[in-house]
Amino acid sequence: MEVSILFIMVVGLMLIGVPIAVSLGMSSVLFLLWFSDSSMASVAQTLFSAFEGHSTLLAIPFFILASTFMSTGGVALRIIRFSIACVGHMRGGLAIAGVFSCMIFAALSGSSPATVVAIGSIVIGAMVKAGYTKEFAAGVICNAGTLGILIPPSIVMVVYAAAVDVSVGRMFLAGVIPGLMAGFMLMIAIYVMARIKNMPKGEWAGWREVGASFHEAGWGLSLIAVIMLGIYGVPGLYPAIFTPTEAAAVASVYAFLIANFVYRDMGPLAVEGEGENKSLLKKPHTLVTAFFHRDTRDALFEAGKLTVTLMFIISMALILKHVLTDEQVPQNVAKAILAAGFGPIMFLVAVNVILLIGGQFMEPSGLLMIVAPLVFPIAMELGIDPIHLGIIMVVNMEIGMITPPVGLNLFVTSGVAGMPMMSVVRAALPFLAVLFVFLIIVTYVPIISTFLPDLMMGPEIITN
Amino acid sequence: MHSNKGTSLIDEIEETLIAIILGAMTLITFANVVVRQMDGNILWALESTVFLFGWLVLLGASYAVKKGAHLGVDAVINLFPAKGRRALALISITICIVFSFLMLKGAWDYWANFANLPGTNGRWFPLGFEDSFRGKGWYETNDIPHPAFLGWMEGFFNEGVAYEKLPRLVPYMVLPLSMALLLFRYIQVGVSVWRGDIDRIVASHEVEDEIAEVRERLGEHG
Amino acid sequence: AAASCEEGEIVIKFAHVTAAVNHPKGIAASLLESRVNEEMNGVACMEVYPNSTLYDDNKVLEAMLQGDVQLAAPSLSKFEKFTKQYRIFDLPFMFKSVAAVDEFQFSDAGQAMKDSMQNRGLQGLQFWHNGMKQLSANKPLILPTDAEGLKFRVQSSDVLVAQMDAIGASPQKMAFAEVYGALQQGVVDGQENTWTNIFGKKFFEVQDGITETNHGILDYMVVASVDWLDSLDADVRDQLLTILEEVTITRNAEATMLNEEAKASVIAAGSEVRELTVEQRAIWVEAMKPVWEQFSGDVGQENIDAAQAINAGL
Ligand code: NA
Ligand code: NA
Repeated sequence: MEVSILFIMVVGLMLIGVPIAVSLGMSSVLFLLWFSDSSMASVAQTLFSAFEGHSTLLAIPFFILASTFMSTGGVALRIIRFSIACVGHMRGGLAIAGVFSCMIFAALSGSSPATVVAIGSIVIGAMVKAGYTKEFAAGVICNAGTLGILIPPSIVMVVYAAAVDVSVGRMFLAGVIPGLMAGFMLMIAIYVMARIKNMPKGEWAGWREVGASFHEAGWGLSLIAVIMLGIYGVPGLYPAIFTPTEAAAVASVYAFLIANFVYRDMGPLAVEGEGENKSLLKKPHTLVTAFFHRDTRDALFEAGKLTVTLMFIISMALILKHVLTDEQVPQNVAKAILAAGFGPIMFLVAVNVILLIGGQFMEPSGLLMIVAPLVFPIAMELGIDPIHLGIIMVVNMEIGMITPPVGLNLFVTSGVAGMPMMSVVRAALPFLAVLFVFLIIVTYVPIISTFLPDLMMGPEIITN
Repeated sequence: MHSNKGTSLIDEIEETLIAIILGAMTLITFANVVVRQMDGNILWALESTVFLFGWLVLLGASYAVKKGAHLGVDAVINLFPAKGRRALALISITICIVFSFLMLKGAWDYWANFANLPGTNGRWFPLGFEDSFRGKGWYETNDIPHPAFLGWMEGFFNEGVAYEKLPRLVPYMVLPLSMALLLFRYIQVGVSVWRGDIDRIVASHEVEDEIAEVRERLGEHG
Repeated sequence: AAASCEEGEIVIKFAHVTAAVNHPKGIAASLLESRVNEEMNGVACMEVYPNSTLYDDNKVLEAMLQGDVQLAAPSLSKFEKFTKQYRIFDLPFMFKSVAAVDEFQFSDAGQAMKDSMQNRGLQGLQFWHNGMKQLSANKPLILPTDAEGLKFRVQSSDVLVAQMDAIGASPQKMAFAEVYGALQQGVVDGQENTWTNIFGKKFFEVQDGITETNHGILDYMVVASVDWLDSLDADVRDQLLTILEEVTITRNAEATMLNEEAKASVIAAGSEVRELTVEQRAIWVEAMKPVWEQFSGDVGQENIDAAQAINAGL
């Protein structure tokens, strides 16, 4: 009862235009003042613990930063050129290349909206020029962009891992097969639509172009290898050298070096406009000055600002979680659900429904931080694999991002494509159906998620 | 509606501070990886990075208020006419002001004893300062060595006894500081809403600025 | 008031960081909870929050001093912040066995340590045992030289850092949630812990066997705040502390058995457990013992002497 008041308050405050973070924080504080004996100091303590006690969340600012260096550094453009060289000649080729680009960028970036901005801002315009309708282009990118959180690295996975204390490295591995699968399902759907509607196809530019574009994009693509080899090592041959959190920091430094000294599209060696960027050999002192260059400061600031808005929500969600735990809500919810005789299947349906509804109002990380601790103990009782549960949640978040009224990718696509929200919603609809089918498959075929982590890291053990 | 790009000196300072903190976090973590590869260690790397993380977000929160960058839902308020939007914005900002006031009290109460200062009485509204309390100026962090330039703190907060590690009062100081800034910024926004300069206090998504940039670029070329 | 407590009952929140089952602390906490709720029904109501769900060890003592939690049982190294005497429990090879630790804790010196933090607002109530710590790595550890150059994950404690430095190993800090993955992927090479933790967290799966060094002790202390204890009626306080004492005696007697069971389970799971000969063990002691001198000023030579006298008597 008391809990429903809390959740109604959270949603109500959000709907009248209170920032999400304050809606969560204010509701938690009022709940605590009314129902608990705990002090206001404990709220401040919990706020600081959001950082001090959850060091795995550090991966969030670092992956955002890596993605920022990659976007400003011209990596997206090179990825798109490579994608077009590979699949652009097929019927609907540019659209398929768009999906392919999103998949590759998703493997560099931890966020979906960032993927849409990086790829969509270039591809949507190109598709319209090539003779596709704007709606179709927007629908494709809007959906493919959601892969940003399913294909590792992923901010949402980091949040899930922090919320329920599972390994981030394991979650990342679990996202690989579902991510590829979702991407290919989208490509197939596009290909079928393209055949039926006779959409444009591009020219096959030859293997030379594939090779040349791969070479160009190689420095950016190698970041994927840096992250994966760094976290997992080469099994049996070479040990890993950093934790997933550290991998994010290493990725940032690497992306900084690529953007400044290899692509030179930012920093002291960049030249505005058409001119050839300067060579490092001629200006070796830039190895030092790049750290203090205005572009570096701007990239750090942009990433920092995004971190602030996301983490402020997450930290307030952690306060809500603390207040709920203090009142033993998760324990009681678990008891009630188990007493009601829910089986694993019904339970997973319920989780999907809760997340799909929640996703209509809430920013994904904050929602996950609240829902995961509530459903996790029940899932463990029912014998559901925690990693599988995590992937189900991530796919739900993806769908939440492309459904109104609150869909991050809808907003972003409508902004990037310059078209009204409702047209984007309609444009996204056919592909949304694909993602729904995908959600059902992922929910009821756990091995899609667990195969790779079990293979590489052994079966997950629940010790709590 | 918001996206006023950083121009003032205060903006410049806040933005540079955000950049410096994130840069420091990245370099410390990176350095720890490198040093560990050489069989060394930076034992204070994790704890100090985590504290910087807290400073980044908590100090950044008030900057984000100033820039209207905090995420929210505007689907419903868009349905209202201008007058209704103003009313909702006034209610919203009042809630934000009350919230940051409560958080400031909580933050002060939490931090004060670590600095041998009195917390406040009262459950939610501060009714004056505590008469007696146990100071916690002696309470140290886990891994960060106490830097020499903060040696003066020992006389102030630890009865002259040397600190082995940085006292907790230093990292925790950001709590009252940031909550006071947050309250200040929300009051400023409240004034803007009252004047009718703005009709909402949220951003609908996290990449508003980037999209504005993309629009600008497309506008230029096409 | 907490959800399941009745109106008028004194709410006693007990926050700890381990699992509620299969762990000495978790089991003891659950036993205390059921006994208090049964025998003090209507007067007091205890709620246990396991697995760091409410507070982790780093925050729980802060929360206690602030009045937001009433009981906690952090590992003894957490009290080094309050008084450096507690470093004695982290010193390598200071105690021969859990029995020696037990005898020291019940000596005058040990009892005095419970009261040593009163000026900082904490009252020690009872010592709870986990067990002796063992060493493991991704290669066999027979002599200290085997650990040279290896990276060991340690808890935040200057003594434990010095202990690893003493054998030429490289101590590393790492969030506990990352340890299993880091051991498995080889980011760090080894760790030290009790049998129950090595089994409970499955560290043995990702290590090349466990060396039974018994080089240190992992123990906990149940604490409450001085102010909260003072606020209780004398008879309520006495009843609570009596129940706590009885639970302590029962559970401490079984903690060693729980560790033996965990060790057997580790062996049953196919991991190799390496025992040290007397000579090998002496080499480990020789390598690590210089750490004592480094911290004797903090710990007090008289406490070290008392511990050694107990070792000699066993
Ligand atoms: Na990703
Ligand atoms: Na949605």
